[in-house]
Amino acid sequence: MSPPRYGSSFWIALPIGAAVMVFGAIGLIGDLGVGGGVEVGGWLVGADVAHDFVLAPLACLVGAAVARALPRWCRAPTQAALVTSGVLLIVVFPALRGFGRDQVPDNPSVQPLDYTTATLTALALVWAAAGVWLLARLATAGRGRRRPRTRATPGGHPMSQR
Amino acid sequence: MIEQTTPRIFTGSLRDERTAALLGVALGVTFGVCFVTGVLSHLIQDPPSWFQWPSRPAGLYRVTQGVHVATGLASIPLLLAKLWVVYPKLFAWPPFRSVAHLVERLAIFPLVAGGVFELFTGLADTHIWYPWPFNFRAAHYWVAWITIGALVVHIGAKWAATRAALFAGDASATAPPPTEHTSAFDRRTFMTAVFAAAGAVTLFTVGQTVAPLRKLAFLAPRRPDSGPQGFPVNRTAATAGVVDAAHSPDYRLRVEGKVHRKLAFTREELLAMPQHEATLSISCVEGWSTTQRWRGVRVRDLLTHAGSASDAEVRVDSLQRRRAYRSSDLNRWHAHDPDTLLALQVNGEPLDLDHGYPVRLIGPNRPGVMQTKWVTRLVVR
Repeated sequence: MSPPRYGSSFWIALPIGAAVMVFGAIGLIGDLGVGGGVEVGGWLVGADVAHDFVLAPLACLVGAAVARALPRWCRAPTQAALVTSGVLLIVVFPALRGFGRDQVPDNPSVQPLDYTTATLTALALVWAAAGVWLLARLATAGRGRRRPRTRATPGGHPMSQR
Repeated sequence: MIEQTTPRIFTGSLRDERTAALLGVALGVTFGVCFVTGVLSHLIQDPPSWFQWPSRPAGLYRVTQGVHVATGLASIPLLLAKLWVVYPKLFAWPPFRSVAHLVERLAIFPLVAGGVFELFTGLADTHIWYPWPFNFRAAHYWVAWITIGALVVHIGAKWAATRAALFAGDASATAPPPTEHTSAFDRRTFMTAVFAAAGAVTLFTVGQTVAPLRKLAFLAPRRPDSGPQGFPVNRTAATAGVVDAAHSPDYRLRVEGKVHRKLAFTREELLAMPQHEATLSISCVEGWSTTQRWRGVRVRDLLTHAGSASDAEVRVDSLQRRRAYRSSDLNRWHAHDPDTLLALQVNGEPLDLDHGYPVRLIGPNRPGVMQTKWVTRLVVR
């Protein structure tokens, strides 16, 4: 890894950014008090830990497992659909669990849908799109194999590159 | 110079400077948009002496806050992808190689923690879900400043590297393309997947404010056409504790403060006054909006009756006794806008109790929390 170099941009940005951070921290404690600031600090650490030591390892494990389990030709659409599905589940999970709705039981306009059905519909659309992509890839690859190859591939047949 | 290495378990070719730079630029744009629109919303709700939010164009706040929430939601896949690309650097050894490098890495903590915190608290707020003990608005606002400060430091540190990565040409373009049709994720596929995820999030939620897409808003916590009288409610009359006061025969709308004549009206007396109609949006800070046809008395007509100054400002008080947003301010532009109404009816029906019966404030270019419901008093200043 090449060593990082710090030009003038870093030394200009550092005091500006630090001043903005201090402004934010002072404002936070001014509005919420020291106790509130500590609570927010705890949630900040929690947010970082939740990503770095729960979500990210989980994503790496799932990605590695999929890469091992699936043949190469269907990996990209599957992984793309998995990424999209995961993000959609993050966005909808409060509604799936009824978080928020349970705090306002007399207000049916909060989370008004059947989110299980809604989520399954959204995921079905995502996986249908991935399927179309996969078929398009297969069709292109099939045409590519029938034509004489213009570029020599080291190692012969593409599949041997696995 | 000390060499720094990352664990050999991370072998993916995607985890390179160029992918990180592309996602970094995208995130810089989305976080910048969220920050500017968020600070604007904060200024509108809590204006300092130097800031006056105009009442026109009528739909401006609907756009800025819709953009704030939609951009924040679309940032979720961008941030996760960026963190996935740079994840091995978290375990780099030794952890730093110079004082400047240490400072740069320390500033990454408030950046990552603040970024995840802002997106999570923002997402939860759109669901009116508050699993934390502190005030959402204060925490979301001030942590945004901390995050943006850390982002400024990060941009300064990565400026040269980002430019080099973006403008030095695509390194992978010169690499042999051995398995072009059968390969797994190359960079282009990865970026396509990330932006497809951002697009899917947007497509399935943005209909909460973009009415033509409302049928596709499968994953949105609100629908502009769902609720009493066909549109949503944020706080019900029962939650606000105003049910009895709203139906009481003693209810009056009072006009007080710096006026020549103090006024008091029953709802029937207000209905007997000249009525004005306007098509206006409730544009909630949570990112949903709904446009309805309102009918009621102009605030400026009441001010004229009371004999107040032509540049008067007004505080609008609700029957609600506790909690935030029980009153809102009309600056001189909002107080005198011809479409700023004390609405008695919506779409030809008397207001539902949950929409502010007997009288609610509705005006152009205002956050939903400042469209005070169950209005009982105008205090002229």
